[in-house]
Amino acid sequence: MPYHEFDCSKCIPERKMHAVTKGAGEDLTSCLPLGYLNTIPGTISERGCAYCGAKHVIGTPMKDVLHVSHGPVGCTYDTWQTKRYISDNDNFQLKYTFATDVKEKHIVFGAEKMLKENILEAFDAFPHIKRMTIYQTCATALIGDDINAIAGEVMEERPDVDIFVCNSPGFGGPSQSGGHHKINIAWLNQKVGTVEPEITSDYVINYVGEYNIQGDQEVMLDFFKRMGIQVLSTFTGNGKYDDLRAMHRAHLNVLECARSAEYICDELRVRYGIPRLDIDGFGFKALGDSLRKIGLFFGIEDRAEAIIAEETARWQPELDWYKERLMGKRVCLWPGGSKLWHWAHAIQAEMGVNVVSVYTKFGHQGDMEKGVSRCGEGALAIDDPNELEGQEALRNLRPDVIFTGKRPGEVAKKMRVPYLNAHAYHNGPYKGFEGWVRFARDIYNAVYSPMHQLSALDISQDAIPGDTGFMTRRMLSDATLPEAVRNDPSMRPYTGAFDPIAAIRAKTDYPEFPRRSAIEAAE
Amino acid sequence: MNCEVKAKDRVGTINPIFTCQPCGAQYVSIGVKDCIGIVHGGQGCVMFVRLLISQHLKESFEIASSSVHEDGAVFGALDRVETAVDVLLMRYPHVKVIPIITTCSTEVIGDDIDGVITKLEDELLAVKYPDREVHLVPIHTPSFVGSMVTGYDVAVRDFVKKFATKGEPNGKVNLITGWVNPGDVTALKHLLAEMEIDATVLFEIETFDSPLMPTGDAVSHGETTVEDLQGTANALGTIALNRYEGGKAAEFLEKKFKVPAVIGPTPIGIRNTDTFLKRLSEMTGKPIPPSLVRERGIAIDAITDVAHMFLADKRVALFGNPDLVLGLAEFCLDLEMRPVLLLLGDDNGRYADDPRIKALQENAEFPMEIVTNADLWDLEDRIKNKGLELDLILGHSKGRFISIDNGVPMVRVGFPTYDRAGLFRHPVVGYAGATWLVEQIANTLFTDMEYKKNKEWLLNVW
Amino acid sequence: MAGKEKNVARANYPKLYTSDPLAEVEPELRAKIGEMENYIMKNCLWQFNSRGWDRRTQNAGILGKTAQLLAGEEVETPTPMEKCHWVDAVMLAREFRERCAWLAGMSGDEIRAVIGKLHARIDWLTIDGSLNQELTVQNY
Repeated sequence: MPYHEFDCSKCIPERKMHAVTKGAGEDLTSCLPLGYLNTIPGTISERGCAYCGAKHVIGTPMKDVLHVSHGPVGCTYDTWQTKRYISDNDNFQLKYTFATDVKEKHIVFGAEKMLKENILEAFDAFPHIKRMTIYQTCATALIGDDINAIAGEVMEERPDVDIFVCNSPGFGGPSQSGGHHKINIAWLNQKVGTVEPEITSDYVINYVGEYNIQGDQEVMLDFFKRMGIQVLSTFTGNGKYDDLRAMHRAHLNVLECARSAEYICDELRVRYGIPRLDIDGFGFKALGDSLRKIGLFFGIEDRAEAIIAEETARWQPELDWYKERLMGKRVCLWPGGSKLWHWAHAIQAEMGVNVVSVYTKFGHQGDMEKGVSRCGEGALAIDDPNELEGQEALRNLRPDVIFTGKRPGEVAKKMRVPYLNAHAYHNGPYKGFEGWVRFARDIYNAVYSPMHQLSALDISQDAIPGDTGFMTRRMLSDATLPEAVRNDPSMRPYTGAFDPIAAIRAKTDYPEFPRRSAIEAAE
Repeated sequence: MNCEVKAKDRVGTINPIFTCQPCGAQYVSIGVKDCIGIVHGGQGCVMFVRLLISQHLKESFEIASSSVHEDGAVFGALDRVETAVDVLLMRYPHVKVIPIITTCSTEVIGDDIDGVITKLEDELLAVKYPDREVHLVPIHTPSFVGSMVTGYDVAVRDFVKKFATKGEPNGKVNLITGWVNPGDVTALKHLLAEMEIDATVLFEIETFDSPLMPTGDAVSHGETTVEDLQGTANALGTIALNRYEGGKAAEFLEKKFKVPAVIGPTPIGIRNTDTFLKRLSEMTGKPIPPSLVRERGIAIDAITDVAHMFLADKRVALFGNPDLVLGLAEFCLDLEMRPVLLLLGDDNGRYADDPRIKALQENAEFPMEIVTNADLWDLEDRIKNKGLELDLILGHSKGRFISIDNGVPMVRVGFPTYDRAGLFRHPVVGYAGATWLVEQIANTLFTDMEYKKNKEWLLNVW
Repeated sequence: MAGKEKNVARANYPKLYTSDPLAEVEPELRAKIGEMENYIMKNCLWQFNSRGWDRRTQNAGILGKTAQLLAGEEVETPTPMEKCHWVDAVMLAREFRERCAWLAGMSGDEIRAVIGKLHARIDWLTIDGSLNQELTVQNY
């Protein structure tokens, strides 16, 4: 077994089976770390809690909803304004968060009465919003408040409102992943099937496991609209509450982040017979194949091909420009869950980088199966990494760049490793063809930052060059490139806008495809 | 009376001003050298606080979790604390101090952390680490009591309580800064140095602003030592700058060790800094040196450049930590501004007796509201729906959308200020802080005038 | 909802292989199958549904249809589920035709035999030989 034992974790031998190095000829039957097991206390793990997995990751991207946490104020505060899941209704869900503000007297005497007052108050403060989600927290789970009963009472008294309850206290499971599961199943059980949608296309999908980070969902919706596909709902980025109640009417579930949302897809398959099609919105090939597959399913592959041709022509020259300059750069791909497999192969194949390590802080062995498969030989895969292991790995691997969360990014910074935000992105969106170029651009900007180069210089000991007043990224990146590549007219750096989403939102010229029924009637 | 003090008139909280107690305790813990705290509860209670602190300071700090999962929540989770302490000690050989910080879940299930600390001292520490200096500090910070501010106050007291040891008088002053930034500590230490006063600063967090070194091995942590904490019992006296963030520790030292306690004022603005220096002088017998007269003069010069021309009668809303808000409100009055709305984000019963609040009530010359247990909706609702007109907001980053959506300029101040670069590096206390604040306020108003084309030509000549 | 018994049945899907089914395959053919295996493991997601019984269905559905497509057979897709398998099979067949020139010279039976071996290998990697301890969890 190719387990990797960290020096810093020799004293906690149970950690040994949580890291592997993929050696020559290794496959999933010999090389897979343990995963999704209880965290070892005191290791300084990066994991969060099941409340955050439910509320912060999956619930809150729903845009037309009052998101209420039933508990002390901290859970609410802490999971507010730390994400970049935007929405096209002026980011309502990012701006407003609601805490029932449970105090000691409520812990002693119960908090159901004040929960009800809270619900009414919140609806009264925002009279144009008629939908609410309520999230249980550790404290209210332990005192046993019956949130469902209170929500039911309010819905009876106010027939125009609808409330979803998610009972996923922070301690529920080894990581935030426990909360992903609970909210998937809770939504399916409580809400799916309670609204009948208007069907406007012959091709109807739910777009599942997509959170509209910096506009990813809107990029993908643009493609779907260009194909004449009706997206009934997005689970949950930029998603509408009532749209998500109608998920049962889709013909196909297109699943992006299987880690956080496979549960609802799998159950929709069992209960409603809607097939699950896994896709990758990241990378030219993966995205192109994803659009083709959806096209194939509906018999409209030509529409997908037209988009792929147009987008590739527009953006391939820019992706290639970066690929030439990122070739062989060593990457630690250390995200939360799904990015480790969404990105591992695509960035190697299309940006030329070398993924030397993957980790998952809250994922399962299933995520590692995909991640390990998609890495090359020699890659170090770590489950539930902790502070010291991360530092040891960075010291040993000496990557050129790391993709991880904001706080671990600060650790990397101190170790002189440039970082990109793998969860919220630096300057996304990263989905779509243009998005993928933006990702490459961000990597390039990080790796070839003149300041990064300067940070290595110890002015007390090293020779200070003193021969130039500045360096540019290109002076650094192109120094060793062959002349032909450097001046290749078929390639160019990124030419897009600061905010590509504004243009998508302003778009009105989507093609109209007549419905099959209309064509048949005409014939 | 023009100044009303009232509690928020809603049950719930819309857009909270504070997070909960464990955050305050964690912020204290990172100020202590060779210390890694263990937060006893779910993992989110640590993960998000570390993220919040790292957003504010653009640095990462080490804080551990006992990682309580279902079984612990049902059957008790003290075994998780025992494991956490052992794992932490094994892997971090430099660690000497481990506060055990409770949360709502572990307080509700009634985990006896004081008991487990005794057990750990008798068993684990005595048997496995007999030659190692290790201090375990119980800190009770249930999230359903108080706020991050009271959590900070409790934790400072508990650290002091754990370590303060009677010995020979050390002639030092205990300076308890309250919840401040590295830049504030630098400014305060500068004042102490000019006064030639030897002080124990709780907490030495200048190093939170740490470098990126060619060696790539810099780690951010505080510098207050166990010895510093032990010596607090032997000081000339204690000055707690912030009544609600360190006041408890000052009172403890006075009661237990007869170390005279001076609470306040928060030295924001010229007047409060003057008073702070006066109290230092009284406590130590050291005179205020001419160098500070000059420094004060520079600050007053800077203020005079803008105050009565640009700041007079500007209506300001303030929210954030109570001592900060009150100190800023006092300074605003000295600047001829009108602090019309003060939001204090928790239900601390002691606000009613705060002399600063009483003074504001007695002397307000325009309608002023002070709301306790407030949330940010108390601000936004007044602007959007109740006709409150404002020229400026002073508060932290969580209020940014109120400013953006309602076109009211905002100077970021307090914790957290993640949506502006480098604010932690600058002081708001002392004369340097007064200068920095007033120039931030002025420049923010100038930018707003230009952006809105609101008498932007005024600055053609100044 | 699925009853308890059904879930137990899901968890207790029969094992097909106790060792690598391709261990004895001669190197040249093994290398050819390796190319296909590598493509799937690097680019596809359908083989990684979270439960073992589900993977069994996916692998059989998609690789079965891939073999049919490559062998030039008609593929029936009477249900949405089968259509979904067919979609991934079409994509895979295209890739294989493009990447594996040697397929062109094979008869239908030979192709079916090769894909059969590939199927066994993928089942081994993702189900029977997998180290993933969650494959036998009863619910999603």
